[in-house]
Amino acid sequence: MSALRRRLAASPVAMLLLSLMAAGYALAYLWLTGDLAGGGWGGWEASFPAWGRLLERRGFLQFEPVGWIMLGGLIWTFSPFNTLLALLMGLLLGLNLLAAWWVWRSPRVCGLGSSASGILAAIPALLIGGACCAPLVLIWLGLPIAGAVVGLTPILIPLALLLMLLGLWILSRRLEANGER
Amino acid sequence: MQRLLLAIPLLWLLALVPALAGPPTQVPPQVAVGHPLENFRAALQAGGPGKDGIPSIDRPQFVGADQARLDDDEIVIGLYRQGQARAYPQRILVWHEIVNDEVGGEALSITYCPLTGTALGFKRGTTQLGVSGRLVNSNLVMYDRATDSEWPQILGVAIDGPLAGQGLEEVRLIWTTWGQWRARYPETRVLSERTGYVRNYRRDPYGSYTPLGGYYLPESRRLFSVLHRDDRFPPKTMIFGVRTARGALAVDRRVLREEGVIETRVGDERIVLIHDPGLETAWAFRNPRGVSLDAGALGFGPAGVSGPGIEALEPLHGFEAMWFAWAAFYPETALYPEAP
Repeated sequence: MSALRRRLAASPVAMLLLSLMAAGYALAYLWLTGDLAGGGWGGWEASFPAWGRLLERRGFLQFEPVGWIMLGGLIWTFSPFNTLLALLMGLLLGLNLLAAWWVWRSPRVCGLGSSASGILAAIPALLIGGACCAPLVLIWLGLPIAGAVVGLTPILIPLALLLMLLGLWILSRRLEANGER
Repeated sequence: MQRLLLAIPLLWLLALVPALAGPPTQVPPQVAVGHPLENFRAALQAGGPGKDGIPSIDRPQFVGADQARLDDDEIVIGLYRQGQARAYPQRILVWHEIVNDEVGGEALSITYCPLTGTALGFKRGTTQLGVSGRLVNSNLVMYDRATDSEWPQILGVAIDGPLAGQGLEEVRLIWTTWGQWRARYPETRVLSERTGYVRNYRRDPYGSYTPLGGYYLPESRRLFSVLHRDDRFPPKTMIFGVRTARGALAVDRRVLREEGVIETRVGDERIVLIHDPGLETAWAFRNPRGVSLDAGALGFGPAGVSGPGIEALEPLHGFEAMWFAWAAFYPETALYPEAP
């Protein structure tokens, strides 16, 4: 991981891209899980009447909102833990993408396969990173298979986290191997 | 002394009995059961959120009609009981599905399943109903918090648990619009958005009734599998359904509106349905004496329909439902008119 850390610390552009990717993914995650949605009536208002429900869960890895923030046409039913989880997933996805990019751009290392094969390690992580919201997308689209896959939602988020961590570990090892040459 | 020591735990156990008592039930159920209970159990599906993941409202608060921020065309589920009228906005119920309420000292559960478009009221006794997180035929499966028995909402009969095979006592709810409800019941109280939970009550996660869109469109596809398919109507077409112990009947609401009064049969029982233009719903009755009604002489008020011949009829519970769900629960349902 140290090569990845060094590269990030040395590149403000990479840090900015990582922040944008994490925020973008988090917003998409919150939108798909329903925490962020339309219904606002203009201007801005906020209220936090349910701090007592901070630790209450609505489902696996989904927590009760403690308040709401209305901005323009949007309403965000805010749960600190849902937001943290969304940001964590976004951060991991962003790191995978950045690391895959650096591996692809780095010279080929003898005996360790091509740079392209390094990127392959990121693919399952990237797919599963989006797949955790797939049942929600299917329901949103009204597709009948949503009923069959909705039961998978609880395992998809931990699986996404695990695979993204694994992908990141493989990619960072490759970056370190490339850096040693 | 020994007797006293024995009596204390016995009294304690006796005190627990009411707390553990399930809802009042009918044995045998007064409604048809279209499939064997084991088939319903085998068809149970996870709906996504777990048990109580969709939280019932257990301490409902109400506001006056003037304080309710509702448009006239918004759907509300209305209850008129013991001289009191209450409106439960669909856009609040879609997030909670069950309100454990009390009206005039009577404990009731107001239940709504967005996936089947059905609103039914039940007597709950000293217990409460909750959302089990499971579905059968796409329909909400409720559980009672005393015995943990499982009750599909449309069926109104427990399919699992200690009360399996017993039926709940039903209470009529009205699926209508806020404008129509308020015109009939100006003194109505309205369920407040202060439910104890934070939800976006301005947004329906499934679609929209005003204008009709998303999951609620008649032609749109259902999300979950069903025990029986019937394609005589588009799946989400809203029908008015009644069921007795002997069978079930689905009525095309357009025909109901056109004909005003429908006289038909469920099994060998005479049934009459009367369209209520003020609430855009129907009142269903058994008609054991075969009384003939004059539609023009009937009137509608807070207690429903009145007029010559009504006193000879026996009220029957009926409710609006999406066609696919009705047909899934009652494969042998009669249909009026017979060919849609």
